[in-house]
Amino acid sequence: MSSVGRNIPHDSARGHVTGESIYVDDMPPLRGEVIVDFYWSPVAHGRIRSVDTTAACGVPGVVALFTHHDLAHNLFGPTLQDEVLLAEDVVMFIGQPIVVIAAESRDAIKAAKAAIKVEIEPLEPVFTIDEAKKRRDFIGPVRHIRRGDLARGFAEADHVIEGVWINGGQDHFYLESQAAIAVPGEHDQLTVHSSTQNPSEVQHVVAHLLGVPINKITVVTKRMGGGFGGKECQATHPAAIASLVAQKLKRAARIAYSKDDDMCVTGGRHPFQNDYKIGFKSDGTITAAKIDCYSDGGAFNDLSTSVMGRAMTHADNAYYLPNVEITGTVCRTNYPPNTAFRGFGGPQGIITIENALEEIAYFLGKDPLEIRKRNCYGIDDRNVTPYGQTVSNNHLPQLFEQCGEQAEYAKRVTDVGAFNASSKTHVRGIAATAVKFGISFNTKALNQANALVNVYLDGSVQVSTGATEMGQGVNTKIQQIVADEFGIDPELVIVMATSTEKNNNTSATAASSGADLNGSAAADACQKIRAGMTEFAANYFERITGLEASQEHVVFARGHVFDDRKPDERVPFHAMVKMAYLDRVSLGERGFYATKHLDWDADTGAGTPFLYFTQGVAVSEVELDRFTGHMRVLRSDLLMDIGKPINPGIDRGQLTGAFIQGMGWLTNEELRYDAQGNLLSHSPTTYKIPNIGDVPDVFNVAWIDAENALNIRSSKAVGEPPLCLAVSVYMAVKNALSYVSGTEIPKIDAPVTGENILMRLTHYTRTLARNGVAVA
Amino acid sequence: MRDHLRLLINGREHEVRGRDVFATVANWLRARGATGTKIVCEEGDCGACTVLIRRGETFLPVNSCIQSMFQLDGASIVTVEGLGMNAVQQSMIAHHGAQCGYCTPGFVVAMTGMFETRDHVDEPCARAELVGNLCRCTGYEPIIKAACAVESGSMRRMHEIYPQTIDDDQSVLIEDEGRTFFAPTTLDDALTFKRKFKPCTIVQGATDVGVWINKRAYSAAAMLSLSKIAELRELREDEGAIVAGANVSLTELESFTRDRIPELHRILNIFGSAQIKNAGTLAGNIANGSPIGDTLPYLMVAGAMLEIASVDGTRLVDINQFYKGYKQFDLAPHEIIVRVRVPIVRDTLKLYKVSRRRDLDISAFTAAIRLSTTDGHINAAAIAYGGVAPTVLRLKNTESFLAGKPINADTFETAGRIARDEIAPISDVRGSRDYRLQLAENILCKFYYEIAT
Repeated sequence: MSSVGRNIPHDSARGHVTGESIYVDDMPPLRGEVIVDFYWSPVAHGRIRSVDTTAACGVPGVVALFTHHDLAHNLFGPTLQDEVLLAEDVVMFIGQPIVVIAAESRDAIKAAKAAIKVEIEPLEPVFTIDEAKKRRDFIGPVRHIRRGDLARGFAEADHVIEGVWINGGQDHFYLESQAAIAVPGEHDQLTVHSSTQNPSEVQHVVAHLLGVPINKITVVTKRMGGGFGGKECQATHPAAIASLVAQKLKRAARIAYSKDDDMCVTGGRHPFQNDYKIGFKSDGTITAAKIDCYSDGGAFNDLSTSVMGRAMTHADNAYYLPNVEITGTVCRTNYPPNTAFRGFGGPQGIITIENALEEIAYFLGKDPLEIRKRNCYGIDDRNVTPYGQTVSNNHLPQLFEQCGEQAEYAKRVTDVGAFNASSKTHVRGIAATAVKFGISFNTKALNQANALVNVYLDGSVQVSTGATEMGQGVNTKIQQIVADEFGIDPELVIVMATSTEKNNNTSATAASSGADLNGSAAADACQKIRAGMTEFAANYFERITGLEASQEHVVFARGHVFDDRKPDERVPFHAMVKMAYLDRVSLGERGFYATKHLDWDADTGAGTPFLYFTQGVAVSEVELDRFTGHMRVLRSDLLMDIGKPINPGIDRGQLTGAFIQGMGWLTNEELRYDAQGNLLSHSPTTYKIPNIGDVPDVFNVAWIDAENALNIRSSKAVGEPPLCLAVSVYMAVKNALSYVSGTEIPKIDAPVTGENILMRLTHYTRTLARNGVAVA
Repeated sequence: MRDHLRLLINGREHEVRGRDVFATVANWLRARGATGTKIVCEEGDCGACTVLIRRGETFLPVNSCIQSMFQLDGASIVTVEGLGMNAVQQSMIAHHGAQCGYCTPGFVVAMTGMFETRDHVDEPCARAELVGNLCRCTGYEPIIKAACAVESGSMRRMHEIYPQTIDDDQSVLIEDEGRTFFAPTTLDDALTFKRKFKPCTIVQGATDVGVWINKRAYSAAAMLSLSKIAELRELREDEGAIVAGANVSLTELESFTRDRIPELHRILNIFGSAQIKNAGTLAGNIANGSPIGDTLPYLMVAGAMLEIASVDGTRLVDINQFYKGYKQFDLAPHEIIVRVRVPIVRDTLKLYKVSRRRDLDISAFTAAIRLSTTDGHINAAAIAYGGVAPTVLRLKNTESFLAGKPINADTFETAGRIARDEIAPISDVRGSRDYRLQLAENILCKFYYEIAT
């Protein structure tokens, strides 16, 4: 029986439920280990006048303090080299590290922080996209995607709507905060245990900042307690800080952020402020779209320009925009650098056009789902994206149709109307939105992976890839893929901790692509081993059965190897391994995979950035309390095309988890700052991620039966796309507001907190009362 | 009298002395290699540190990151390492209830705790009992499925697995590095200690003090626990009131109010997580005196009486007279709130708690509205709002306006506007001034529509 397609448990599940699973800060202290932390800038923007660590050096238990002077290099960055690890003369955000502290205890670190004296002359900070636009303080170039003739498109339009889409940021709130342990070895070598999605980048940056060749640094990642993009680039800082201490002191060095510190010093999802102007016919067909995206990149680029690229290539979402111009500008502010976060700009692009479609429907007095279907990408025509890629294998029309039916959309729209006409206390809304999420890194070079597969003499197998396990189940999928390549039980396959020693120059486990890339590379390695074993086995079966040796007839299945012309003469896999070993056949191989068909030019905004699209549609219904603004999600139905899941249980968990995480972003998660730029909501007391009570009362999650010939085992990437379906919850709130906004098109920025909703409800109620309209 | 702690962890007895006595339970466990217990928020809001603590025959979940070791003298504790591989854990594996795994130990411990008082869990129960555990990966749906799939009778009670108890009911006095901890067995000893040591912090559930210790480097010279004083565990109905001793946990009160004061029960239900309610007490909620303390509006409109004791004797204080300003009380440093008398209100009563997230969230605004009525007219009104002033506030003007008025929409719309004018809330991280003003106005209309239908 095939292992792929089966719902087997996560490979760490047993350790997770018993508490045996080890995370970085669970590792026992090493002999001589020091605790590491850093003193950070308390000022959002300023010039450092002096740094005095004399008093701190004298604090009992403090071992050493370091500043940027102690680094071989200070400048780094994943795309633009514009970021310093330790501030030099200017501080750019509250939370920026200035002094590294190594101590024997946490108490000593606290005392040292209090004793460090840093004089900073404040400079004027920038905290808003508007202010950055005014100053023209941008990061990277302004990018464009253009197609057709915008002027003609607007001329053809019967109507035009304009507006600004505004969304807030989001903290990753991985439960395991950033952590690393650096262990010095012989000849200036260092082993770094890092909770990172990107061991190779940690390795490269640590080597660069410490001024040693890359081969001196080994980075090991067993697992993360959640990543969500937050450990794609920003796990590098703690790892580099611990490594600096380990290098200087020749002692093991441990850093583990507290949750409050983590929330204060790391960046999150990008706030966006997108201007849109859409022309459309009286039937709702879009003729022209101009969308200008502006993101809050924070103080340094990090991945902001790449995030913007994905926002721009997702501003069409599921809809054909014949004449279109999309621009993208990253604004520099004095907040921590914003970074990758599940969806990577895609959600901010997608929600902009979804919001516009909703408004077109209200403008025309038509059903919003009808308007979406009318503009949806076609199967044979109207199926080319603004950047020129054809939407092939397109299931969007089917998903709209089928999800609408399964969710009883039409009936429930009527029900919502009836409810709103009669209820004095609550108002409901319902909405359907879609996702078409491009799979592949926009940066072509990142779409490669390597894997190491070792088969041992008892037939058990170890696999090592560049994929990092953060809960998403990539290891389990690879385990299943490898088991099937050898026709053995997945229990015989272990996926090892990720290490740069075994897999070099790997890409971040990101862009939903971990299983696609690394699973394919692992399969390639298995196929190489199998080729050697097959050659041996064909000759072996010739000797046993008398049939002429034929490699085409050798089969690995059901734990055995056999010639399918004489399947009874089968040999257990482990026995065949042993024989192959004695015949000196290689039983360990490296595999490689590079995604084909990719071609993207960020400068021209054209090409084929994606191998395929993961698609879906969701219908959500919400209820608002007219008096308090409190919102409840009554029901959500998700229907997706995720190809053929390698592990349906794991993929289902990605759907439910991503959706709720997206819901958190758009509803209750709000980063509140004071006037100086201090984050006020820096712990779960004040920063409210969804909890178990926030799960929709009715929550249906399903996928259609579909193939995806372009990817391993016909599967599709699934990590990020369902997050974008949470847009349906936001849109249902907007729909509810449309029942109280009279002839106005309702407007509400995200997140739609209870406060935000109540203030909008109050605004519309007052406006209508002023205009003499009776309010229900 | 002992000078050290005795406690059981997963059935094994430990003696704890010196500096360790003042460590948090989670830190203490992790330092000994029991790293299944995770520390995430250090403020009792995420549940990753959940452990079970025995009370009577039941093991209840509490947050070990905000419990100090000294609170656990004589206790039997079970951590994730002590669960073995029970039916909850197996169900979590089978239903993909764990993804990254970091919240998982806290979840399985809390879920195991659910089965201490029931054989089967349905969806509403899972949703209500697990609000104290945050998960960022699964979207909770697989966890709900896992909880509901545990077969009736497949979970053994913890006291059968860990029957050991520590029965010496001795008082404990521990001094270390200038800090003193005292857990007497009699109220007289407690009152004497409270007189002797100033300042002296009473630690019961320590659901607030534990957070100060973690986040504000809080360290009181003297800590006093009342938990060994048997008489303060009393919880009974007496002449139209509930009498609750200072040791009564919010969980016990929640269950006791179910039929007696259903409206208060409803608010206690969403007051906080199981972990917090198992540790926290009603007296603690009163003595903490937060302007958004969730029980306070009810206690005010009901006219709860506080029994305050000291070596000088006992006095009764109406809770409406107790709060003198932001965290300023009619309570001398040597006094202790020993009992609360909570009248059972039988008038028309509604309680409101408005927070960003419905569950386990500190309120932005709270309200209690109580009316006595005859034939569609209001005889008298009592209204208390939280989150609009430095203390929970009685709305005198609104109350007098309502007296004698007919019950209709106009009355409550006008009352709402009066209420709005009667308060001066501030803006903070939980909500703006305008939001709170609007809530203050709207809640009276909401009340009207709720009682009218």
